[in-house]
Parts: sequence; structure tokens; C-alpha cells
Amino acid sequence: MRQVCGIAFFLMAIATFVPTSVLPGSEPVSSADILNHVDDLFRGSSSHATMVMKVITAHYTREMKLVAWSKGKDYSLVRILEPLKEKGTSTLKAGNNIWNYLPKVKRVIKIPSSMMGGSWMGSHFTNDDLVKESRMADDYTHSITFEGTREGTEVIELTLIPKPEAAVVWGKVVATVRKSDWIPIKIDYYGEKLGLERSMTFSDIKTLGGRLAPATMQISPADKPGEYTLVTYDDIEFDIALKDSLFTLRTLQNPEAL
Amino acid sequence: MNTMRIAWRNLWRNSRRTGITIVAMSLSTAVLIITYALMLGMMVQMEHSVTDVTVGQVQVHHRNYLKERSLYDTVDGWENILETARRDGIAAAPRAFGFGLLSSGNKSAGVQFWGVDPASEQQIGDMAKNLLKGTYLSGRPSMGVVLGRKLARTLHADVGTELVAVVQASDGSLGNELFHVRGILKSVGENLDRSVAIIDREDFASLFVLPDQYHEIALNSRGQLSPDEVAAKIRSSAGSNEVRTWRQILPGVSDMLNTSSGATMIFLVIFFLAAGLGVLNTLLMATYERIPEFGLLKAIGTSSWRILRDVSAEALVLGILSSILGGIIGTIVSLYFQYFPIDLSAFGEGFNTSGVVISAQWGALLTLRGIIWPIVIMWLVSVLAALYPAAKAARLDPVRALTHV
Repeated sequence: MRQVCGIAFFLMAIATFVPTSVLPGSEPVSSADILNHVDDLFRGSSSHATMVMKVITAHYTREMKLVAWSKGKDYSLVRILEPLKEKGTSTLKAGNNIWNYLPKVKRVIKIPSSMMGGSWMGSHFTNDDLVKESRMADDYTHSITFEGTREGTEVIELTLIPKPEAAVVWGKVVATVRKSDWIPIKIDYYGEKLGLERSMTFSDIKTLGGRLAPATMQISPADKPGEYTLVTYDDIEFDIALKDSLFTLRTLQNPEAL
Repeated sequence: MNTMRIAWRNLWRNSRRTGITIVAMSLSTAVLIITYALMLGMMVQMEHSVTDVTVGQVQVHHRNYLKERSLYDTVDGWENILETARRDGIAAAPRAFGFGLLSSGNKSAGVQFWGVDPASEQQIGDMAKNLLKGTYLSGRPSMGVVLGRKLARTLHADVGTELVAVVQASDGSLGNELFHVRGILKSVGENLDRSVAIIDREDFASLFVLPDQYHEIALNSRGQLSPDEVAAKIRSSAGSNEVRTWRQILPGVSDMLNTSSGATMIFLVIFFLAAGLGVLNTLLMATYERIPEFGLLKAIGTSSWRILRDVSAEALVLGILSSILGGIIGTIVSLYFQYFPIDLSAFGEGFNTSGVVISAQWGALLTLRGIIWPIVIMWLVSVLAALYPAAKAARLDPVRALTHV
């Protein structure tokens, strides 16, 4: 369950400075342009966001309020604001490493590689989802496989097959975007045997940090019907000034320092 | 009655011959009793080394637990099962299992946490005695942890080391607690050595946010009942839970034990044959020697039937004398080995696999059956061995029997 293009950028608002050169509406429509647009929706040189994450599983339901900062594509920091019991629990990502800060025991734990496939804070994201990222246009061969109306919306459907050398675990990815503004509606991830493994659906499209983007994303694992994780952005700012010292173990251990 | 008196007198006419025969027979009987007790002791001890450390004779799980080992598949109505077992005098220990991370400084390892009730565990098995260093859990929730040997090495942990436990709790939160190492286990099987961290059940409940729920109930009657009998008693109160004996839980170990029990039985049969043949030989020679004497008896008009009767009476008296003597010697020596097991530690430290600790102490186990069988066999052998040459002499022509060498 690693290498989820789209998930990492959504959750951590992975900040990479990529000029969005091609905009929706330009002709002719290229699948690479659409994929770059989707990948860049939540990217900037830095970001600061607050969001609500709701997790529904067969055994528990939980809702967390999170605050996240990111700088470049390598650094991000997420803190739990609510519920009170877990307030201050934080995750620092630097490169391919993840540390968790546990305020209850006042200790920092580096997630060992054997646990990278484990759930992040009880959600349907894995720790790997946070660190792995890819650009869909670069790692997959892609083509437009459908253009037309679905459920009353003009859509473009793209089918992505991983390039042989790409370090991705999916066998196939099918992304559906709105034709008018290339806002993603749904991305389906298929396993190596081409069975559906998980789906991401996007909704609640509004202006966030000066861009038109979906404020809500739902991720549903195909093998656990009825379970999902819902992330909703309350607020996001891009390209703000953040100190490098924010993304250190020292800051991680001090929940008051922002 | 008369026959018996004649037999008795006859026996002491040649007291040296009788003495040698009695010594040979009683020693054989004693050796058989001792061998039987030692072999039985080995077989029973092997089963106990499986059941009396952690496994128990019978385990109860939620019917789906062993398939997926999900934190949520806990035993239904565990209080009921515990109560039934204890009413029948069967020790029962509830255990909760969960996976997580233990970390010390920059060392960390994925572990299986066992939430146990230390008092119940001590009734089930000898885990607490298998400590390399430190002490076992105290019985009160105290954030203490007992580690497997290899796990302690991985974490560079010693008694007193502080460890951080991080798990995914049952409510989805990131359960985390500080623990201190109380003890480190001796080698008790690969899985336990490498990945088990034993904590108090209440500490487990707060770490995993899983109060009063257990994934396993281990049961052990400590030799009072067989595993199948324990399972039968528990099944009625187990509801939809799965009840399995240790032979179903550890089929590999069960097969290994069955194989070695089979081999032990073969050795036992060989021993019985060898001892029986030794006695047969002694008695045959002793009776053959007397063929001229039987010829004389026949010449003065004794019937063949009478000769046969006298010889078998002598054999019976011999058998009784030797079985008393042999029985006493065998019982004393067997009891000695029962209370003072043979120490094999010079040949190795004992043997561990899958939570099974085969001890380096080899004790005997004396049973009534283990005394009676060797004696019965000795009687049969002695009567048969005496009758054959006597029957031969009884059928012989008296003159030829007289000159028989």
C-alpha cells in the first residue's frame, strides 16, 4: 500500500514549487497536462493547513482535527489538535523518515521500516503514504480512455499503467477529472492483479488558498466495504515563510513551539 | 497344599541353583519395573514440558481469532469459562494479545504484547521459573515488562531499562506507555524469544484501550485430567468459542511426541523380551539338569501328570519369591529416580521449541501397572520355561531319562 500519488499531496499538502504552465481549457487536451494539474493542486513552495480527518471502520469511528505545515517536498509536520486525549501527538516527515512524538510519554519514536506499512493514526493511510510520492505524469504511461458525460458532469477519464522502472505498487490507476477545470473527481487504484484496491473520491470544490480545489477527499479500501477515511480542509495557505527549524526533532518534541 | 510343600522342599534341596534362579528372575523383574517407570516418566515429562510452560492442555479462542489474530476477536463470555474451569479444579489463565512497537533509544522492534494475570499464569505453568534474570511480573499493574531473550538483545535492554510501547489501540488511537524491564526469559522457543513482551493484563488494557477482554484462555489440570477430558468439561460453557487441545494447537510437536513415544514403546518391548529370555534360559537349564531325577521318579511309579504338577508348582513358588524381591528392589529404585531425577545437563542444557521446554532432568514415574505387568510377565515366563523340559521328561522312557545328560 505504498506510493499513492495524490494521497500524500492531499494529506500533507506536499510543497513543491512547480509552475502550472498549462491550464484547463487549452487545446489540444494532453493527458500529461491534466495529470500535472491534478498533482500540483495542493503543491506550493510551502504550506500551512488545518483539516479534519474522520475515520470510519468496522470497529471504531474517530475524528481528529489536524494542523500541518510543509516545506519543499521533503519536510512536513502534522499535529493533532483534537481530541483532547491525543492533543499534541505529532508526526514529522523528513525525507523518507517519519518520527512520531507522543506527548503522554514525552518521547519521540522513529517509525522503523517494518512499521511503515502500518496505519497512520488509525486511518486508512499508511505511514508509507506520507513519505512516498510520485508524479503521475512521470511514473506512468497514460492515455485518455473516456471523454463524455457521467452522472451529469462532463468528464475525462485517464488510464495510467506504471512504467517498468517506476517504483510503484499499483498495477493500474484510473483517474477521472472534470472536463471544465480538471478538478479530480475520483481516482481508482488497482493492484498488480488488476483488482480494485482503493478508491479516492473528491468533493466539496471551493477556493482554497487562492486555488479552486476539492476540499474533501474520501479514501475507501476495496477489501473493507463500509470503511473509509474522510479528510476535509478547513483552511490552507500556500507559499508562506516557514523556518527550517520548524521541521526538526526539537520542534517535534515541543508542542507549544510553532 | 501337599504339592506346594513338596515344591518348597524340592527348591531348597539345591539351594545354590534356586538362589541363582531367584537372583536372575528378581533382577530381571526389577530392571523391567525401573525401565518401565523411566520410559513412562520420559513420555509424561515430554507432554508436561509442552503443557506446563505456556501452552496449557487446552486453549479457548474466539472462533476467528487464530485465522487473523485480530485485536477485536476476543473470547465471548470468558468469565463463564474461567468459572467453570476453576469449579472443576482446572487452572485457567486469561490472556490478551496485541501487536505493536517497543523502543529504547534508537533501537526498536515489532513485538507481540501478552497481557497476562501473573497469579493465574503461575497455576498454568512454569513460565515464571524460566527467567534468565530479574523477576516476573508482580501481579499488580506496574508498567513492568518481561522480555524474550532475543528481543532483549535486539533492544539492548537489561533489567530496569525504560522502553516506550507504541501500538494501534482498539479505538484507533496511538496507544503509548512507558514500561520498565522487570525480567528477561530464558530461551523458551523461537517465537517467544524473538518477539514476546509480557505485561500485566491491566497495563495491556490501558495500552490497547481494551478493558476486560481476552483473546485466549489457557487451561491446565496439571496432570489430573487428560487434555481431551479438560476440553470436554469446558466445551459446554464455551459457547461459540473454539476449544482446542494442545495436540490440535501444536500438531508438529504432537507428532514429534507420538513418534518418540512409539520409539520408547519399541525399546520397552525389546527390554521385556531380553529380560524374559534371560529368565527362560536360566530356568530351562535348571530344569534340564533335573531330567534324570524325573526319570527316577517315573521309575518308582510317579505319574507324568504328577511330575508336571510338581514342576509348575516349583516354578510358581520361584516366581512368587522373585517377584516379591524384584518388586521391592524395582519399586525402591524407581521411587528414587522419581524423587531424584537423573541429571542430563552434562549432555546439554535441555531442548526448546515452540514454547516447549524439554528439561534436562529425567525422572521416573512409577505406576501400579508398571509394577504388575513385569511381575505377570515373569510368572508366565517362569511357568512356561519350567513346563517345557518337565513335559519332555514326563514323556521320556524312565531308563533313558535316568541316563539323560
